[in-house]
Amino acid sequence: MTEFLESKKDEENRKIIHTYALVKASDMNDEMKAETIETCVTACEKYSSNNEAAARMIKETMDKKFGTAWHTVVGESYGFEISYDSRSLLYMFFGGNTAVCTWKCS
Amino acid sequence: MPSPNIIKKVSGKTAPVLRSRISTRQFRFSKDGTEDGSSHDLQQWLKRKQSVWPTDNLNPFVDKEQVEEISLNLFVGDPQLPDNLVEFSFKERAFVPVIFHDQSLILLENEGTCLHIESQEAKELTAAVSSISTEVIEEKEPSDEIVETINESLKNCEEEESADEIDDDEIKDIKDEKDAIAKQSTLGKTKKLMNQFNFCERATITYSNFLKNTGTQTKPPIRMTFSNYATQWIIYDSYQENYEMQEREKEKGKREKSTVLIKKEDFQKKFVTDRNDVMNTNMIKKLLILERMINQNIFDDILQDFRYYEDPSDEFQNSTGTLLPLWKFQFQEIKKLSVTDIKWNPRYFDLFGVSFGTFDFQKQSSNGCFCLWSLKNPSYPDFVTYTQSGVMSLDFHISRPYLVVVGLHNGTVAVYDFRFNSKSPIYQSNHVDNKHCGIVWQVQWGEDLTDGEMIFYSVSSDGSVFNWILMQNYLSLTSIITLYNKPEPNSLLINEENNQLKDCGMCIALHPTDHLLFLIGTEEGYIYKCSTAYLATYLFTYEAHHMPVHRLDYNKYSPNIFASCSADWSIKIWEDNRKEPLFVFDTASSVADVKWAPYSSTVLAAVCFDCKTYVFDLNVDKYKAICVQTICSKKFNKLTKLAFNWKLPVIVVGDDKGISSVLKLSPNLRIKPRVTKKQQGVDLNELEIIKLEKLLSLIREPTEKSKSIIIQSSDSTSI
Repeated sequence: MTEFLESKKDEENRKIIHTYALVKASDMNDEMKAETIETCVTACEKYSSNNEAAARMIKETMDKKFGTAWHTVVGESYGFEISYDSRSLLYMFFGGNTAVCTWKCS
Repeated sequence: MPSPNIIKKVSGKTAPVLRSRISTRQFRFSKDGTEDGSSHDLQQWLKRKQSVWPTDNLNPFVDKEQVEEISLNLFVGDPQLPDNLVEFSFKERAFVPVIFHDQSLILLENEGTCLHIESQEAKELTAAVSSISTEVIEEKEPSDEIVETINESLKNCEEEESADEIDDDEIKDIKDEKDAIAKQSTLGKTKKLMNQFNFCERATITYSNFLKNTGTQTKPPIRMTFSNYATQWIIYDSYQENYEMQEREKEKGKREKSTVLIKKEDFQKKFVTDRNDVMNTNMIKKLLILERMINQNIFDDILQDFRYYEDPSDEFQNSTGTLLPLWKFQFQEIKKLSVTDIKWNPRYFDLFGVSFGTFDFQKQSSNGCFCLWSLKNPSYPDFVTYTQSGVMSLDFHISRPYLVVVGLHNGTVAVYDFRFNSKSPIYQSNHVDNKHCGIVWQVQWGEDLTDGEMIFYSVSSDGSVFNWILMQNYLSLTSIITLYNKPEPNSLLINEENNQLKDCGMCIALHPTDHLLFLIGTEEGYIYKCSTAYLATYLFTYEAHHMPVHRLDYNKYSPNIFASCSADWSIKIWEDNRKEPLFVFDTASSVADVKWAPYSSTVLAAVCFDCKTYVFDLNVDKYKAICVQTICSKKFNKLTKLAFNWKLPVIVVGDDKGISSVLKLSPNLRIKPRVTKKQQGVDLNELEIIKLEKLLSLIREPTEKSKSIIIQSSDSTSI
């Protein structure tokens, strides 16, 4: 019985790792935001081990979809201070360990 | 181009004008660079060449300089070219000179328009011109002189040409003159040569539009700055936070949908909305503990009494007992309301719920309230919930002690879930069609349905008994029975058009074992035994009282025995399907409540309007109470409700001033059955039943006898 309880406790204590896309900051309109999230998720899933390729893919897709001058950062640990055209910023987490920041600044 | 030998005469300032009439033909050279036959002419021409100097030349050095002649000769032959190259010819077996061909290239060949005056062509031309002019002379007299002069000049020219001294201008003049004469004399005769250099240029300028500059500047897109910092732990934390939020929302949604299938039964757990609330709940928890500690200090003597005091006089008194007043619970904010119902929580033995309303029909207050009190904290209720109308009854769910159903004075019922929010109900009956038309006198939870839905029953003074089912997000109502006034037993309730009077239900008691059965006490004094299976008829009718029945309570050990109390000053104990009561006790006042003790099958307690609390033990005394005690001031107060604790030897008594008193039962009031040698090893429960049966067998006999007598008498009368 005690063992059972302990195992149960362990299960409770076990860290749950979430992998869904979690938007931390965005000032886009909803439609654009949804599309951007979709883009980022696709890219990060496609290049799960290659952040550079993922960033390139996001940037190019965004350039095609919403006009030029997009910038993208994909990484696990970084800091940044950027200026961006308003209503064109998305900062999100994905896969539990990746932070994606994409913005437009011409 | 057959590049001629150009002889330049480099001289002083005033270079002599070299006038030559050279037929370019004469300067042609053969390809191999050797001069052809006309080279002799060239030599001649060079010798004849003489400079003409202006006469007004004042420079004394000119002549001297002029004398000095520097001549530069250009030849078509390559001076570098070796002329003595030989190669060995095997044919001739000797060296033969190599002849180079193609030493010159023709780059441009231009036919000149100049004629040598002594050439044949020139002579023919001159002859032609002279013939024209003679004709002209013949025709036109006035120009004779001119023609003669021309001819003379022409002759002169011819003479001079040999010396090559003639000025070009002169010739031109002459020619012009000749042309002019020709024009004048022979219009149309000879083909006029066009002067291809004589042309005029014409142009117009169109109106050109003015150029204008216009400009505009748009506002640049708004630019903002954003900075953040991403690390693994930040990402993890934010995921965690988000997950918690989602969980909370899920919970919230569930609660809003009123899904009541949550198995958690942590009654004290509060709904946490955000981090501040966590802080607050932590804080509140600690404050609660602190408050209880303070209360423990303040009410230390009461606590000691509660725990250890047993009335010593019990030993000497012959089987009578006393009630020891302990705490008094009063909620200051609802002083004017009276206690309408008291129920102990089925899980937490120190927690009880008290509903507040008023029994006075004319002094209805606009609000009601119910509180949950803990014995550990008599100063302030643990939960307070206000309602729009007076609360007349409440009940805790047995297996889900956090669910409380209340019946209100305005006929509605509501269910509260104390896990989340004690302030607003999770279910509330509709105010329009989903409600009773009278005061809800009692509500009671029933056994859960087979598919897990919870149900409760309510009885109201509008004469109907409703069964409420807690559906996913609403309360479903089913009418169980409508209490038509029907004194005759076994006649149908409906289809009696002559009797549509309704009885007012006052109390309900569900059968403890058979979930179909229940008892209804009415304002008219009847007790109806009904079944949820039959809507149309009562299973049994007890003509119990002459005044409203205030409470019905089944014995905790024997489901066939129940007690009733009424405003007609009597407490009666009934057996199932027996028209006559087993026991009748008279009190000197209207009996507000009666309850069987949970610890004994023969003990019951009652409260009366005259502030007296009665405790009966049928095993001890079948005719009078073993304890009669006045709880409060008779002048101002009336006792209204009573409840036995299911674990502790205490009862709670509520009065119409909103005060609930906790009383401890003295040892005499809670005597356990004595275990005889025969009964050793028998369960306490069974002992209680045996005790009750023993008692009942004593009672039943005379009643059955009397019954038979009655039957006999009726038989005799019928005969």
